[in-house]
Amino acid sequence: MYRYFLLKRVGYGILMYVVMICVFSTLFNGVADRTMRAQIDEEVAQEASRLRNLNEGQLKAAIASRRESKYRQYHLDESLPSRIFWRSVRTLGFDFGNSTIIKASNGDRAVSRIVLEALPRTIVLFSSEVVLVTILGVMLGLYAARRPNGPFDRTNSMITMITNGLPAWWLAMLAIMAFSYRFPIFPSGGIHSNPAPTHFAGFLDYLWHLSLPLMTLVFLGVWGTAYLVRNIVLSTLQEDFVTAARARGIPERKILFGHVLRSSMPAIMTLAILGLFGSIAGNIIVEGIFGWPGIGNLYFIAVQQNDVPILMATLAIETLVNMLGFVILDLAYGLLDPRIKVGGRA
Amino acid sequence: MSVKDGLQDFKEFWKEFSKVKQGLVGLGLLLAFAFLGIFGPLIVPFPGASKHWRDIDYWQDNPQAAPPAWTNFFSARKGVSSSTLAAITAETEALEGGASIASFVFDYPFFYDQPPRDLILRVPGSGQVPLSVTLERPDGLRAELFREQVELSEGSDNRVSVARNCAQAAVEFVRGRDAQLADGMNADLIKPVDIFFAKLGPDILGSPVTLKGDYKIEIRALIVSPGFRVGKPSILVSGHVSGILGTDASKRDIFTGVVIGIRWALVIGILTSVISVVAGVLLGIIAAYFGGVADWLLSRLYELIYLLPVLPFLIVVSAIFKPSIWTLIVLICAFFWTGSFKTVYSMTLQIKEETFVEASRALGSGKWRIVFKHIGPILLPYSFASMALSIPAIIVYEASVSLLGLGDATIVSWGQILESALTQGAVINKLWWWVIPPGLMIALMGMSFAFLGTALDKILHPKLKTR
Repeated sequence: MYRYFLLKRVGYGILMYVVMICVFSTLFNGVADRTMRAQIDEEVAQEASRLRNLNEGQLKAAIASRRESKYRQYHLDESLPSRIFWRSVRTLGFDFGNSTIIKASNGDRAVSRIVLEALPRTIVLFSSEVVLVTILGVMLGLYAARRPNGPFDRTNSMITMITNGLPAWWLAMLAIMAFSYRFPIFPSGGIHSNPAPTHFAGFLDYLWHLSLPLMTLVFLGVWGTAYLVRNIVLSTLQEDFVTAARARGIPERKILFGHVLRSSMPAIMTLAILGLFGSIAGNIIVEGIFGWPGIGNLYFIAVQQNDVPILMATLAIETLVNMLGFVILDLAYGLLDPRIKVGGRA
Repeated sequence: MSVKDGLQDFKEFWKEFSKVKQGLVGLGLLLAFAFLGIFGPLIVPFPGASKHWRDIDYWQDNPQAAPPAWTNFFSARKGVSSSTLAAITAETEALEGGASIASFVFDYPFFYDQPPRDLILRVPGSGQVPLSVTLERPDGLRAELFREQVELSEGSDNRVSVARNCAQAAVEFVRGRDAQLADGMNADLIKPVDIFFAKLGPDILGSPVTLKGDYKIEIRALIVSPGFRVGKPSILVSGHVSGILGTDASKRDIFTGVVIGIRWALVIGILTSVISVVAGVLLGIIAAYFGGVADWLLSRLYELIYLLPVLPFLIVVSAIFKPSIWTLIVLICAFFWTGSFKTVYSMTLQIKEETFVEASRALGSGKWRIVFKHIGPILLPYSFASMALSIPAIIVYEASVSLLGLGDATIVSWGQILESALTQGAVINKLWWWVIPPGLMIALMGMSFAFLGTALDKILHPKLKTR
């Protein structure tokens, strides 16, 4: 039964992704085509400058035919629906073409390479954020749930509401101003010192550069998770088995950690991750401000340089990651919570 | 439902609402924001700022990147605060042959450790007018700042800047006391204002010490023909600290910008949330009540939009199409209606089966009548809470798009102030007064709507009442 649910969910996710890519291709068709034509023209002109032993007429003919064949290769000479179709197909095959300005570290201009270079760094930042926020959030939430409406709980929910409408990138600006320039403790950006140290020192250097962005994100993310944990734990505390455990004389501490936390862990995990997936898009700008060279920073630079192919590619990747998150969460729900009927008819 | 019933309902609601402290705080903050949003442009020091925010000439008199005036209180070396002087006496002396001399005296008490950055004289009037400006210092010395015939014209600025126009006068002033010292001066390199406000001595060039006391400035204008006119001049002292929140690198007053930004944040937040919540509620009811094709289509659309990453999409669309603020609002609405859709959808599925709906249908009510008359009003309270709760995110989205430099250039928003702060090096130069206030306002406004929304939710949402 679960296998059927899995296949259906994954299949639906893929279908949705395909639809979204088609929507993007339609929406941004004009500008994407224009960029591509300009790139081909530039490329052909460069090739032509290498052809020496031709007279003017032959050169013109050569350029025209070369351009023609290039256009045909990318289906640029066809009708609008067919152009949109082929662009979608290329995007779905992760063929994003070449960037206009931004280059990979080895000077390559293939967009897929540039994106692949940035993706692991985002994953490092993001996953360490998830781990820290979950651990700290559970601790804070449990502490708040022990005395609901106590001073700690109230402060916590107050901070949650304040940080709710706080742009993470603003906090990032303040953090850099305070801890990189006013009190130069952390580097103001980048991923390693210049020149980069090697081996273990290099790793420490990496952590040093990671710490300020990470701390900013964790500082902002932890309150919402704590509030969530508090709510889940409070509702579990009202369950019968908790009353029964209390009646048996089990110490409160043990009930909280042994019984309550254990049974509410799936809900906490899924909801925490769901909330954090929401923040992955918000991290775009934070990465840009810290100069952490991940997908977000790439986005930031692409907007500034108006590098259309990179923008399209990052949008497709962000959409894919988003979709993956939702699919995985749905699957996890089905697996972890037996109350959710899987595969059956509603 | 009559007006009286409505009033009664409101009274009951208020009775409950006034018990929720959080809601009251939110409402109070919001009212303050609304007041500033409406009357803000009247109380700010630069009332024309919303039109001239990107106009360099409008801001030229302000000091650049100056900290707020109140920082003087904490600093050891007190800097001059920007201010405008008005003439204390204005006399006109008639001469023979229709000519006259207009003279204006200004009093400037100066007790700071740093000289002003500039004195800017503005003389309204018209015609060819010989103008002389003299400065009387507390040590009894007189300096002639300016003596020239200027062409005044109505409507234009007619300004004389001491820092820019009076370098030679400063050299002459020093020469009058100490010729040897004056020989070492280069009119292109000195700062005239520093010299006029310094104790006379050998260190006047290297490290001038300010001369504290009462300064008097006299402007005399010779009006040679009755067709010419000289109005009341003013002197602007440009200082090292400025206003309530200082200035940015483009000399703009940040307090003014932040106050003007309130209006746009309110407009963007409220308009977007109202449109998107109304759309979400309506579409939710339609999908649930009508079912069939409408349900299928709307639910698929909902899923598609729900799964799209909002911010990346908004940024790419803004980067490529460069939308105006109104288009951006429509775009954000296209995402935010999904927020209330699902809840309304499931609530409608329940309400649909209630007996009163059935009774109404049995009495012959049309579908739309049931939607607007019976189902809509029940869901209305819920939508108020969800409107308030969606506003913080909307404001942050607009600010984020603006931060990337993709905002509408015809408005002034907090995101745009932060964008200029980011691109013009406020972070590196530790210009905290440029970075903190706009962000704090975003946070404050988000907080007040969050407080209000949570309070409304507690009162109006029947399901949450239980705990």
